[in-house]
Amino acid sequence: MLEVRDLSVRFDTDDGPVHAVDRMSFELAPGEVLGIVGESGCGKSVTCMALVRLLPETASVSGRAIFEGVDLLSLSSRRLRAVRGRSIAYVFQEPMTSLNPVFTVGRQIGEVLERHLGMSARAARARTLELLELVRIPAPERRLDEYPHQLSGGMRQRVMIAMALACDPKVLIADEPTTALDVTIQAGILDLMRDIRERLGTAIILITHNLGVVADIADRVVVMYAGRKAEEAAVDDLFTFPQHPYTVGLLGAIPRPYEGEGTRERLQEIPGRVPSLRELPQACAFAERCPRADARSRSEVPQLREVRPRHLVACFHPGPN
Amino acid sequence: MSAVDTATMTSPRTRRRVLLRKRFLRRPMAVAGLVVVVAFVVVAIFAPWLAPYRAGATDFNALLAQPSSKHLLGTDSLGRDELSRLIWGARASMQAGFFATVLAILVATPIGMIAGYYRGWVDSVIARLTDVLLAFPFLILAVGLAAIFGASLLNATLALGVGAAPGLIRVARGETLALREEDYVPAAIANGATDRTIIFRHILPNMTSTLLVQATVTIPAAIVGEAVLSFLGLGVQAPTPSWGTMLQDAQSYLTQAPRLAVFPGLAIVLAALAFNVLGDGLRDIFDPRTTR
Repeated sequence: MLEVRDLSVRFDTDDGPVHAVDRMSFELAPGEVLGIVGESGCGKSVTCMALVRLLPETASVSGRAIFEGVDLLSLSSRRLRAVRGRSIAYVFQEPMTSLNPVFTVGRQIGEVLERHLGMSARAARARTLELLELVRIPAPERRLDEYPHQLSGGMRQRVMIAMALACDPKVLIADEPTTALDVTIQAGILDLMRDIRERLGTAIILITHNLGVVADIADRVVVMYAGRKAEEAAVDDLFTFPQHPYTVGLLGAIPRPYEGEGTRERLQEIPGRVPSLRELPQACAFAERCPRADARSRSEVPQLREVRPRHLVACFHPGPN
Repeated sequence: MSAVDTATMTSPRTRRRVLLRKRFLRRPMAVAGLVVVVAFVVVAIFAPWLAPYRAGATDFNALLAQPSSKHLLGTDSLGRDELSRLIWGARASMQAGFFATVLAILVATPIGMIAGYYRGWVDSVIARLTDVLLAFPFLILAVGLAAIFGASLLNATLALGVGAAPGLIRVARGETLALREEDYVPAAIANGATDRTIIFRHILPNMTSTLLVQATVTIPAAIVGEAVLSFLGLGVQAPTPSWGTMLQDAQSYLTQAPRLAVFPGLAIVLAALAFNVLGDGLRDIFDPRTTR
């Protein structure tokens, strides 16, 4: 349904170009939940924002993003607007500030319905009420006429999701939807997303730095590092047979409090820092931090290889340990 | 529906209004400002009924007369009742203050928003032109424009409105630059909003309180401006009364009858002060950081 091929994003800054994303490719099937994981600044948000062209003008994007047979990257802005919010909806990280403070929840969701589906104000209101029920907001009739500042963060994120689901989109891109919320609220939002996928069959791209969240609801996972795809696999394969040393490192950094008495070990962090994206290294981007790196890692860019069925890794020395 | 229900079900909009009113009432200066402003507006509107004499009515038996029960504030050199002229004069001041400000906002808001929203070369051109105009003090600019347009109340109002526009353009532009960076703007774009929707539904409504406060600052400036233009003969023309023309007339009799200058002067100061104090109060109550 959505096929991204060789997507690259370069930002032209005053200090020279920054290569935020380098030849990313992935696919999304209908109803699938794809997790994109990586550290801050690895290009996961930029990748998704590039898909619906939400990046500022300083970004130059190349590659293709074929959605239902058309390339989103070369679509006229008029046709693109018809896709945004209608077929591909976006939920941002910041629920506290992503709603316009001067309009009620009902009007903001209604606006999307009126724009894309040409609904009357009355029909839009009825549909908005349904949507608020769908995202399990308590007392939806009352919330309809409330302003964003009267809602809690979790509730606002539910409103944002309701707004994203308004036109029954085929793809929902959720950019760190739970990061700004506290843990119990996070679980509720994740439950909701799972529920949406099951009830509406919406495909979801979930951007997160939290592997726990991915394990919870994703079908497939793309691990990104420094603007490149490091590994891609079905979620179970990734957690059972991680191949890329970066993935192995990430999994080692998850706290596991349930492994019994006396086995408490220090969490393994990944040494070193994320490289600067000023220039694309002609080497594995992870080489500087990698225990397995050798001369080849430092002089050649590893290409993605299928090490197991549907399990891709960009590493010269893949393996679980 | 019971009384309790209706009480708890007040809409948030109503609640916000109640909150704003409460905040406003807690500011005695602002309330005083509002009272004086309303008084001036009422006086201007109902001048024909409030003024004891017609504005041009002369009483040749009482030239430069002292205040008396017949002429509460005395008369001028042509025997015209000073109080009546002050009341009629309020009309010119209020009209100029109000319409010049409306004009300035109508002209400046779209220009400032276009500059702030689209940025790029449009913004550079608009911002630099605004800077050039702002290099002229407001009154100098208005005097220059009024001299070009010709002397009349309408032209003086136009000149004041155009003269006040550069400052407002800058405010609208700055506000737009800030508001377009709010998270709800990309969120709206991601939902398929057009530039028009973003400008009219997301940016404009969020800057109304700023514009309102700006307006209460522009009105007194325009009132003073009208008086200055009329004083210089570029605004209201004799014999039509205006506080500015009254000051002009009073000049020749400053030693004999200083009150002829004092009363219109006081009226100008009081009106300008009231609008300024009201504007300060409004700015405070609309400021989200205000907790009181």
